[in-house]
Amino acid sequence: MPQLRLTGRGLWITVLIAPPLAFVALFIVYPIVAAFAYAFYDWQGLMRGDFVGLANFHQVLFVEPYASWTRNAFTHNIIVFFALMVLQNGVGFILAYALWRELPGARFHRVAVFLPVVLSTIIVGYLWKLFLHPLFGVVNQSLKAVGLPFLAQPWLGQDTTALWALIFANAWHMVGFPTLVFLAGMQRIPGEILDAVRMETESEWVKITKIVWPLVAPSATVVFVLLFVGAFNWFELPYIMAGLDGSPYGSTDVLGLYFYRTAFGNVSAGQQNFGLGSALAVLIFVFIAAVASVITVRLRAREIQI
Amino acid sequence: MSKTIIRMGAALGAVLITMPALSQELTFWSWRQEDRAQYEEFIGAFEAANPGITVNLETFEAANYNTILSTALAGGTGPDLMMVRAYGGLENVASAGYLMPLDTQKVPALADFAPTALAAETMRSDETIYAVPFASQTQLVIYNKTVFDDLGLEEPQTWDELVALSQAIQEAGIMPFANGTATAWQNETIVGGLTSSIIGKDFYEALKAGEADFSDPRYVEALTKLKEISAFFPEGFIGLDYPSAQQLFGSGLAAMFVGGSYELATFKTMNPEIEMGVFAAPGLAAEDEKLVALYYDGGYAANANTQHPEAALAFLNYVASLEFGQAFANTLNNVSTVPGVTFDDPLLQEISELNASSIPYMMLVDFRYGEPSGSVLLQGEVQKLMAGQTTPEAAGAAVTEGLKAWYEPFQD
Amino acid sequence: MTAAAETYYEKRGLIGTLGRDGLLQIILVANTFIMLAPIVIMVFSAFKTNMEIFQSPFSLPDFTNVANFVKIWTQTNFLRYLANSFIVTGASMVCILTLGTMAAYAIARYQFFGASFILMFFLAGLTLPLKLAIIPLFMLMRDLGILNNQLSLIAVYTAMGLPTTVFIMTGFIRTLPSELEDAARMDGASEARIMWSIMLPLVRPAMVIAGIQNVVPIWNDFFFPLVFIQNDSLKTLPQGLTTFMGEYTTDWGVLFSGLTLSAAPIILIYIMLSRQFINGMTSGAVK
Repeated sequence: MPQLRLTGRGLWITVLIAPPLAFVALFIVYPIVAAFAYAFYDWQGLMRGDFVGLANFHQVLFVEPYASWTRNAFTHNIIVFFALMVLQNGVGFILAYALWRELPGARFHRVAVFLPVVLSTIIVGYLWKLFLHPLFGVVNQSLKAVGLPFLAQPWLGQDTTALWALIFANAWHMVGFPTLVFLAGMQRIPGEILDAVRMETESEWVKITKIVWPLVAPSATVVFVLLFVGAFNWFELPYIMAGLDGSPYGSTDVLGLYFYRTAFGNVSAGQQNFGLGSALAVLIFVFIAAVASVITVRLRAREIQI
Repeated sequence: MSKTIIRMGAALGAVLITMPALSQELTFWSWRQEDRAQYEEFIGAFEAANPGITVNLETFEAANYNTILSTALAGGTGPDLMMVRAYGGLENVASAGYLMPLDTQKVPALADFAPTALAAETMRSDETIYAVPFASQTQLVIYNKTVFDDLGLEEPQTWDELVALSQAIQEAGIMPFANGTATAWQNETIVGGLTSSIIGKDFYEALKAGEADFSDPRYVEALTKLKEISAFFPEGFIGLDYPSAQQLFGSGLAAMFVGGSYELATFKTMNPEIEMGVFAAPGLAAEDEKLVALYYDGGYAANANTQHPEAALAFLNYVASLEFGQAFANTLNNVSTVPGVTFDDPLLQEISELNASSIPYMMLVDFRYGEPSGSVLLQGEVQKLMAGQTTPEAAGAAVTEGLKAWYEPFQD
Repeated sequence: MTAAAETYYEKRGLIGTLGRDGLLQIILVANTFIMLAPIVIMVFSAFKTNMEIFQSPFSLPDFTNVANFVKIWTQTNFLRYLANSFIVTGASMVCILTLGTMAAYAIARYQFFGASFILMFFLAGLTLPLKLAIIPLFMLMRDLGILNNQLSLIAVYTAMGLPTTVFIMTGFIRTLPSELEDAARMDGASEARIMWSIMLPLVRPAMVIAGIQNVVPIWNDFFFPLVFIQNDSLKTLPQGLTTFMGEYTTDWGVLFSGLTLSAAPIILIYIMLSRQFINGMTSGAVK
């Protein structure tokens, strides 16, 4: 590679690198740094007021009603994460394994499983909202048609099913993603290793747990971290299907909705508070960053041991 | 000679004055997406009477309107004219100084408006009016007259009659009520529309005087009865959202809809054939005064920083005029706040008469000034009540407890 | 793979293999059904009236009945939203690929002080959930005077797309041989000329990957328009869809045809280019 000698070349490099750098600095780095700063001020609408130290953090964490709202939303994010871990990543692994065998029609199945992934969350949300309609929705109509009317539920209206309905819609939407990431991981497993294992054991289970699973560990790390970040950023799907209030009575409220509502207000409450909103954003951000790095470090360590 | 010059000068002056007027374009934001066509007509009439001013209407989803509006105003991209909410919703926008202060000099017609209507668009701190109130809304029971007539049913005089009537409708294979509670704010309208007579004027006065709170037996009784009558709501109603509920009534699948007077227009549009009646849900005994829940919906306001303040004021004067009020009542089937409006529509006439016996739609009128708002609390608690997750007593206590955070009379 | 599979079949009983593969095949077929049925029902319902949807949700519709689509075409702003989505996505993609290639080229082909630091700087943006910085972003857009203006969206999307693009492109450009470049330099070609005429034609495959990885999230984004755009005529498709769904709540046929129309462009492109889509969208996660 040529060494940087000419001033002309230095200028050329600057021309190449400065504009993209400026974009990232202005629209990513600055807002995130500013979000931290905002959280330490009192806000009157869009006017920044006095420096208040940790008062906003204290309020969202320890002062009612915010404290219980925060706890409630946070709990739901946790549930969403673990549920999707099974329904999305777990199912994705099984599907990937099935696709890996290259059975007849595998190409078609691969295209089909990824199809919902390209759709907008807004389309997916409305689609399932219409399907889950208590009276006219295709889900309840089918249940009644096959003689199971007692299973027909107001899915989005009761706290026992609403969050699960959203989780299901999300899994339907995104399951293709971990599937194909795992599949790519499996396809990189060298054939010799597989052959060697087949000499040793007949058990499919041993093969999966001892060989396939460890060898797709890098893929697993990535989909786990992405799922974690996604689960704690969850906004669009609950916004469309459950509304900004996390209806019914907060049983689908998650940090994303709560943050947006606190920062920008809604009809029945209408108080707009950038200070509390920023404090929430910072807490969510720090939490995501901390846990995501722990997951990454832990899982990477596992990858190396193999 | 000099006369000619003066005339020419005057003509020139007039041209100069009207010249900028020719380019006066105002934007007007509304949350009534369903009334778009009618508003276009009002605007057409205004533009015809005020040549040189054009008003461009934009409508937004009602649920997000407040956010969109305050966001835009804060960003300096707000409209010149806008619909604003009343009470606490108004204060959010007005307190930031986004709205043009109004008085009877700028809009003379305001002098004759009902004091309660003006109070709805007045900020408490500076006692200044910021918007021309457009409609009062009444929460009551709307029913399908054809169904009632076919089944030989009469408007109920007692709560037991209401239950019996619902039973009769159900037995005839029709859904008694269309209401669903999946959309949060619908939980508040059913309280206002069904239980105001049970809550009673005495309770409201005691509440205002700081002598009662929502754990009061009268309020708890109201929630108890609400829970009982919900047995006649559609199957799975806790998962039924607002538009679906409207659809059930509009299509004639359900006989009654508990809601606001603003629903009448929607139902007429959905089903022009529909024959509707209204009644105030009765109290427990026949002699209890039958009450509806009344509030003012919102108003028309001007942006404090509009480029065309005169044109904006001309519009506000137009919407405060009898001519507009009458057109508003006639075409939108809403109870205009403009004094002197008469109602061609017998239903509206009946509602304006029912309004004489009313209590305020109290969570909106009195409890939206802090966090958590009474509306948010009540909506959540009623949703829980309907799902069988709480009792009327616990719900009333929870609302009171929540309001303690900012409502001083509840703080011991 | 196939060779390995063949030896494997010999080693195991045919029945056992068939049983296991049969189970896997059943899983795949069931899953594909679950994936496709909602989309098929959506498309069918788009051609039905309310009554048909409620009474026979699964039946084949009369595909010549396009009343719902006509309604959308003539009575709503749907085309406007669609055009806006094209404009915003298109402009963002041009910016992302141009700026991303510039940065990646500089980092990959020249040695200069701070190159690795700059790469780290870009990569840091890869993992940050920008949604949480919406309040400062909102204030920034206001101060720049581009609130309620599609430029705000293009700016954010470009910034969000750059990290992945720089990452993918840098990796790819580093693998390109330097002989051509050196020869051209010997002939006295300018650096700009070398980049434009010699190197850029070679990076197209990586551009496709980076492009697809970014185009889908940008086309589908709802959050930033929700906050930045208020004017109906400036809304993008996902945001416009919420307005539209609010206006036609009671007409399910129209709702389904609106959803179908919104989904159609991306589904059609996906079916045509499924391999590139899958590679592109998973490229960040697959190494």
